[in-house]
Amino acid sequence: MSDPTPTFRDVSRITCMVHQRLGAKVTECLVGMGAHTVLVENARAVRQHIRPRPWMFPGNLTEIHGTPVEVFRTTVPRDCVDAVMRALIEALELERPGHGAIYAQDLKEHSLLEPPVLKINSGKEGLLLRDLVLLTGILSQVGGGDALAKSALKLGTCVPVITRGMGTGIRDQLGLLRITIPPEKELVHLMLPAQDAAGIQRLLIEDARMDRPGGGFLYQTPIRAGVVDPLLRIGRQEHAASMEQVIAAMDELKCGTGWRKRFGDLEDPRNERMKPLRRNHREITFICTEGRVDAFVRAAMRVGAGGATTARVRCLSESDFEGGIGARERGILCVPAGRCDTVIEALYAAEQELEDTHCRIQMLEAPSVFSHQR
Amino acid sequence: MKSTDRTRIHIPIGTAATMVWSYARGRILEQVKSVAFIILYLLAFQLFVLGSTPSNAVRVAAGLGLVILGLTFFLEGLILGLMPLGERVGVRLPRKCGIFLIVVFGLLLGMGSTYAEPAIATLSTAGVTVTAWGSPLLYRMLNDSPGLLVASIALGVGVAVGFGMFRFYYGFSIKPFIYTLVPILLGLSVYCALDSNLRNILGLAWDAGAVTTGAVTVPLVLALGIGVSRASGKREDAAGGFGIIMLASAFPIMGVMILGIVLNPSTSRPMEESAFFAPEYRERALRLFPNEAALLRHVFQHGGEDGRKAFFGEDEEGYRQALRRLGTPEGRGMIPDSMSAGEWLTRRASETERAFLTREVPGFASSPRESETAWASVFRQESTNALRAVIPLTLLLAVVLFLMLRDRPRHVDEVALGVGLALVGMMLLTTGIRTGLAPLGDEVGRPLPRVFRSVPREEGRVILEPFEPEQVLTGFTPEGRPYRFFYFTERGTTPRPVPFDDDQFDPETGSYEHVLQRPPLFGPQLTLVGIAMVFLFAFGLGFGSTQAEPALSALGRTVEELTVGTIKRSGVVRAVSLGVGIGLMMGVARILYDIPIVWLLLPPYMLLLPLTYWSEEDFAGIAWDCGGVTTGGITVPLVLAMGLGIGGELNVTDGFGVLAMASAYPILTVLLFGMMVRARQRKGLVDVDEEDEDE
Repeated sequence: MSDPTPTFRDVSRITCMVHQRLGAKVTECLVGMGAHTVLVENARAVRQHIRPRPWMFPGNLTEIHGTPVEVFRTTVPRDCVDAVMRALIEALELERPGHGAIYAQDLKEHSLLEPPVLKINSGKEGLLLRDLVLLTGILSQVGGGDALAKSALKLGTCVPVITRGMGTGIRDQLGLLRITIPPEKELVHLMLPAQDAAGIQRLLIEDARMDRPGGGFLYQTPIRAGVVDPLLRIGRQEHAASMEQVIAAMDELKCGTGWRKRFGDLEDPRNERMKPLRRNHREITFICTEGRVDAFVRAAMRVGAGGATTARVRCLSESDFEGGIGARERGILCVPAGRCDTVIEALYAAEQELEDTHCRIQMLEAPSVFSHQR
Repeated sequence: MKSTDRTRIHIPIGTAATMVWSYARGRILEQVKSVAFIILYLLAFQLFVLGSTPSNAVRVAAGLGLVILGLTFFLEGLILGLMPLGERVGVRLPRKCGIFLIVVFGLLLGMGSTYAEPAIATLSTAGVTVTAWGSPLLYRMLNDSPGLLVASIALGVGVAVGFGMFRFYYGFSIKPFIYTLVPILLGLSVYCALDSNLRNILGLAWDAGAVTTGAVTVPLVLALGIGVSRASGKREDAAGGFGIIMLASAFPIMGVMILGIVLNPSTSRPMEESAFFAPEYRERALRLFPNEAALLRHVFQHGGEDGRKAFFGEDEEGYRQALRRLGTPEGRGMIPDSMSAGEWLTRRASETERAFLTREVPGFASSPRESETAWASVFRQESTNALRAVIPLTLLLAVVLFLMLRDRPRHVDEVALGVGLALVGMMLLTTGIRTGLAPLGDEVGRPLPRVFRSVPREEGRVILEPFEPEQVLTGFTPEGRPYRFFYFTERGTTPRPVPFDDDQFDPETGSYEHVLQRPPLFGPQLTLVGIAMVFLFAFGLGFGSTQAEPALSALGRTVEELTVGTIKRSGVVRAVSLGVGIGLMMGVARILYDIPIVWLLLPPYMLLLPLTYWSEEDFAGIAWDCGGVTTGGITVPLVLAMGLGIGGELNVTDGFGVLAMASAYPILTVLLFGMMVRARQRKGLVDVDEEDEDE
């Protein structure tokens, strides 16, 4: 047994969510730069499709449609994160609505691998928005993500991206009765302007009826920088430019999203209508070889974690694994800051015991967390 | 890391029961919805078009209940047990074994699955009307060398699964396999179509490809492929794991055609019935039968008077003795199980033979058909089949996982429960199909030719005795001409007048031979409407039964899961059902108009090749897999009943080809569905691209 406490490095995690057709290009770019581990997950981006009513009836129909998206995640040294993002934005033309979104989050990571040394041809300056946060919703029912995504689209926030996961924890302690509770979860990822995040979070809780038992889990994590996909609606266009295009142009002109502030009263702590949000949490993410995620979750739960949401991901980069085996699992836990160290130590102990050389543990702040409380 | 330290939450029994009930109710309702269409459709057709009622309503209703329960258990078993087990093995195999061992494992699994879920029973049913003189090669493959036929199919499936594993391991696209295999299959089909003997096995070969992948094999192999595909970590495999069922359909087709080509030189050519049964040809004829008694049985079951007389040659007395023996219990075995003696007299016997038997074997015409098989016996048979289908494959996977790979499923108890549920589900499902759904389909499918027949048809004869000539009444036509009639009650309906025929009355015995006749359903002038009704029936039957297919449901669920809901299960199931409906219409057209099967196979497959080229990789795999999963336990019995009903009416050699059609068209509809979905999904990007081009 080696050191009982893990060593953490300051790195940035880049998450790139692009249309499935651009997936190959992302891999090509990242591998070309020298990224040694790229994790990929399938997802769907939800947009409003507006079309004229059939049979020449007057008016338009608005439907919610999912588009296939691939989510790429890789960690890079903090000093080169902006350059990597700019290179990706340029290569994938992410400034164009509909191509996708990208963001980077500063976090602490434990991994046996050193961060990659990247060769980057930096892209255009001034494209990155600095005042964003990521709102992640975890919902219990398959298809439940659509309710939250619809609310987000209605509020005109961004294009919601939905991934799938499995809930582990309390369900696993029910014995065979667990089969009566579907383990499938949907994770909704929303990039929001920081100044409106709390207000939008509260509105979403109400709108998507998350303030009920089993209604889900919604939390914020900070974003260092990113570019949002503003193509919320597809279809009939009645103006010279869509509202989303105007917003994107304004964001670029103002070099941020600060000008969009609109939910001031909802953030007022004296507003009694609002459900209380829990503060000062940490999001802990671990990545391990497929099949071992339960052992990690059990280890975390023994020291007080409430459960985890896991997802299967593919590892694309050859240098990270031997013999081309790329099946991984990713677990997400949200724990109070005070319990964070203990949970991380338990995860690290599990890694040592399982001798999982692919294991990574990542930690970042989650300043605002909501789940139903009795 | 051990799990002993985990705290178990204890749920009170009442709460647990509520949880289980609410869970079970949801699942049962889902299955009620999936089978509702086909049941209501069959009942509506029987009641409103054919104007009859289910003959054993209680038995049929109980059978349908079992179908719903069986589907619920079976699907849950697949989701909880078999698929997670298969996927786990798939993910672990590449970690511990090299590609050679993986391919060998795939080969064994594929071959094992064919022996576990034998398609030969289905193929034998489709080939029940095959005659040894009309299609000697087909007869030989089905009856004389079934072992070779099964082996060729098993080898085909084995090679397919092995190839599939190889493809997933290296992340190869399915498209080159399609571009290579399909032209080879079509080329072989054209070659076979040019030979009088090989032509007859084309339907068998293509149907073998359709039915070989059963309800257990499909989800297992699919899950295994998804596991291997994910473990390989290739970028191309965003929705990997598909395409293996297509291979498992294509290779058996090739296997059966190659077997036919090998056996053909040593098999006699098609010939006249009388020449085949003639004593001078006896030695060669006996190469297809174990003994002379079997040959005699064949001529009674499938042949006509010419064949029977030719069998006995000069021995007239032997011929008459054989006819007389039909009245004895031993002689009853000479008549097919599916026919009553009366039906045999109507369909197979000549006028002379009918007269002889009526005279020499009194009461022969009214001897009943073999009674329906008892519930317990059906359940026993189906339980044995279910055990054979589920247990060996599960054991093979479990042994590989626990002993070779030194791993275990995430929840062993859940997998064990799943395997148990799959087993019970399959027992209930297949019993329910045999006692409920299949008889219902049979009652609609077999009399279906009535809807396109334009003349009354003799359905059987009944001896009325004692028949008093005083009972005969006199009526008058509108022209004022008198005619004689008597009242006859048929199948519980009210008595209706039937014309009296002097020739049928025997004053010596005081008996009257009444000929039962079925009038044409739409009158003599409306056969086109009748034919349209047959096509409509075929479409609805395919559409409805496919919606209830468990293997398709499992595939649809997998597609939805892998694409994170961008392709909905309901969309896939609807597209496939539509394709099966169209395919069945084509199959029926083949029987009705005697179109050579190669002409029906070539156009759709020639169209499929360019469509595949234009389709995206994942949809190509999904679509070609759909072709293999459509023909499962629910569709096959219904389709066969319909095919044999129409085929029997038109004296078609065999009922093959309908299932092959039901496999080809779903590929087409799913590819088109995929193109539509992708076009809509690309809209976000394309709109922008177009804008830029305009600039």
